[in-house]
Amino acid sequence: MAYLLRRLGVSLVLIWLVATLIFAVLRLIPGDPAEMLLSSGGVAPDPAAVAELRERLGLEKPMLEQYGAFLRGLARFDLGNSMQDDRPVMEEIVRRLPRTLELVIAATILSILIGLPLGVAAALRRGRPLDRALSTLSSFLMSVPVFVIGTLLVLVFAQKLRWVPAGGFTPFTTDPFTHLKILLMPAITIALGLSAVVFRMVRTTTLEMQSRDWVRTARAKGLPENQVIRKHVVRNALGPVLTVVGLHMGTLLGGTVLVEYVFNWPGLSGFLVRAVEQRDYPEVQGIVLVICALFVLLNLAVDLLYAVLDPRVRHG
Amino acid sequence: MSRITNDTVSRHLVSRRRLMQGAAATALAGPMLMSPARAQAKDTIVFALSSYPPSLRPWANTGTAAVTVKLQTMRGLLGYDAKGELRGELAESWKQDGTTAWVATLREGAKFHDGEPVNAEAVQKSFAMMADEKSSAYFRARVNALLDRIETPDARTVRFVMKQPSATWPYLLASPHMPIISPKSTEANPAGAGPYRITDMERGTRIDLEAFDGYYRKGKPATKKLRFIAYQDESLRVAALESGDVDISEYIPWQNMSAIEKNPNLTLDTLDGPFLYLVFNMQQGPFINAKLREAAAYAINRDDIVKAAFFGRGSPLAGLPFAKGTPYWNESGANHWSMNLEKARKALTEGGQPNGFKTTLLATSTYGMHKDAAEVVQQSLKPIGIEVTLAVPDWASRVNLGNRGQYEFSVNGTAGDFNDPDALTSQLAGGQTASYARSFGYSNPKVDELLDKGRAEFDVEKRKAIYRELETVALADAAFVGLAWRSQGYGLKKSGKGFKNLPGALTFFSGITLEDLAFG
Repeated sequence: MAYLLRRLGVSLVLIWLVATLIFAVLRLIPGDPAEMLLSSGGVAPDPAAVAELRERLGLEKPMLEQYGAFLRGLARFDLGNSMQDDRPVMEEIVRRLPRTLELVIAATILSILIGLPLGVAAALRRGRPLDRALSTLSSFLMSVPVFVIGTLLVLVFAQKLRWVPAGGFTPFTTDPFTHLKILLMPAITIALGLSAVVFRMVRTTTLEMQSRDWVRTARAKGLPENQVIRKHVVRNALGPVLTVVGLHMGTLLGGTVLVEYVFNWPGLSGFLVRAVEQRDYPEVQGIVLVICALFVLLNLAVDLLYAVLDPRVRHG
Repeated sequence: MSRITNDTVSRHLVSRRRLMQGAAATALAGPMLMSPARAQAKDTIVFALSSYPPSLRPWANTGTAAVTVKLQTMRGLLGYDAKGELRGELAESWKQDGTTAWVATLREGAKFHDGEPVNAEAVQKSFAMMADEKSSAYFRARVNALLDRIETPDARTVRFVMKQPSATWPYLLASPHMPIISPKSTEANPAGAGPYRITDMERGTRIDLEAFDGYYRKGKPATKKLRFIAYQDESLRVAALESGDVDISEYIPWQNMSAIEKNPNLTLDTLDGPFLYLVFNMQQGPFINAKLREAAAYAINRDDIVKAAFFGRGSPLAGLPFAKGTPYWNESGANHWSMNLEKARKALTEGGQPNGFKTTLLATSTYGMHKDAAEVVQQSLKPIGIEVTLAVPDWASRVNLGNRGQYEFSVNGTAGDFNDPDALTSQLAGGQTASYARSFGYSNPKVDELLDKGRAEFDVEKRKAIYRELETVALADAAFVGLAWRSQGYGLKKSGKGFKNLPGALTFFSGITLEDLAFG
């Protein structure tokens, strides 16, 4: 119990630190939300209008007062309202977060579906043309930026072949088929890079497992080779692979910016970029905090799980 | 123990044949994924916006995308027809009443989306709201400077009594930043009288609209539904147009214009309207010296700017931005700053810096055209000894630095508020609070006097003479140094009829013609 309380306390302090940091950084960098709201497209805003808007947005209040209001809001799970349209930031985050999660999960599943069998196939044909071809391809996919892959996919499958829409979003509840069709290209764009990582990991661990004693024993016992591979090689190779995939999923949560941008996918990352461009303080603070809180909570969950599994952690 | 090779094992897992079969199946399944219904449904126009409007507040200027949407939901007293000529919107007619008043007669039977009638009281209330000191109205300062009071002799008559004669007042009434809203609605939640009503919106993504059945122009809008989708990525915007996901798109990137022109299914509607120019810090740094500003102005290769920033889609701007074809354009003024290194070096010498100097040019990384133009300026000034360092922060930082005068000279881009030299007030008039869009600390009483005189004069010939004089004075000051006109393009499906890119400065208001657009 004490361990749990200690870990919860540390998590809360971490979230507070991030909240304070993002609050301060936003106000230190150049750029004024009121100026941005009234300066789109190169027009010169009326300075009196800027001053009035700053007043209305609460930016003229002393910094400590603004900070206090921000923390009080946080305590009530109130992230404030957008400076652009006065709507609750939390509402927008709740709407967009599942879309980013959906994209990340779909891409991860796809990357496993692609990377896992190809990794095993390459390992089993080590040094042969298929292995060399796949290894070269994986190096290529890992080094090509996602926006290049994304743009190429749009060019070929949307613009030329017209198989799928160029981008956008249709809610699953409105039209599941169109929703999945639109999801396909951004998910593949992320998945191709990630599948190369999975491929490499699977190939390496499969090769490693093949030389293990228990594999040799299984073969010596006369177990059919497909069972040896499936049960003794691939299954044991999956542990490190899942760790890597898990780590990448965390990174992808805030790292789908370019893909969401290229495909007009209305997720959290693209929302964050627009919020930063507009210097919409409550939106930036809210999104960063939610992403941070997710990371902290995930870590907390993992730590607690470790504690359950390993008493030394609990008592250490 | 039987030896089983890797090859035989792999057949149980992934065989080459299976891979090929999978690939073939994917290829065959592709066409089945094709959308059964593309954007070109007869009753819906899908319009690609260049960004999602930050806000739809009626009188604030929050960019072209917002203007395009607001023009569908709200209208002012006047507007523009497809040729860019003034036409009545909520006012069926307007006329000058002496030199210091304008009278507008409102349409009979026009109503707002909330059912309230369009009447003089509504007009008066909207003007009171936009003139209020707490309003974020784009034209608040100008309205307060020009308008003395509004008289409403009856429900359909509005009499604007001006503080001074104002020939350009109707242009302000026609601006999309001056809509009239229902007196029962608020600035935050306005009810306008435009051809469409918003039915649904998803922030950052799309806005759905439906025809307003009480719209005052009978038979309009020509298409029942309108959907705006925001595509911030310009490549995706073009891809969406070329693939048929959208019917019409604003801000066609210059590099894609040729492809759109060559596409047999699409039409490109493009014209020169907005422009790029240099502004200077006239309170500190080298450019407080007019001769050094002049040297820079003469040294710039504007053809290269048109090529680098706009892929040749534009034209050099070597004078004040008076559009060719208007009464105020003249050849010598238009070519005043044409590249001449001899004159540039002479001006440098006269400015006391014969060997040049070092300076910093502020641009932005957010807009490629600003950065590209800045690079050409940097290269152009090198031969005369001006060593330029570029500063290219993001747009928010650049605006902030510009408004505070924390720069030496800077690239900026805009379009006039309307097609009249009076629109240059924003860039040239003194006495205004600092803005990144005009030279920091610039003020010339003669320029102010000529701007006031031009605005107060109704006779075109006399106005021509006034603006000719203004041009001479302003060019001598070199506080505004033109760089290039840029082409502004809309792309749409060839079957679309009724939409028109409005001429010159009005290009950003072309959304007003969406009410005529229909796809056959």
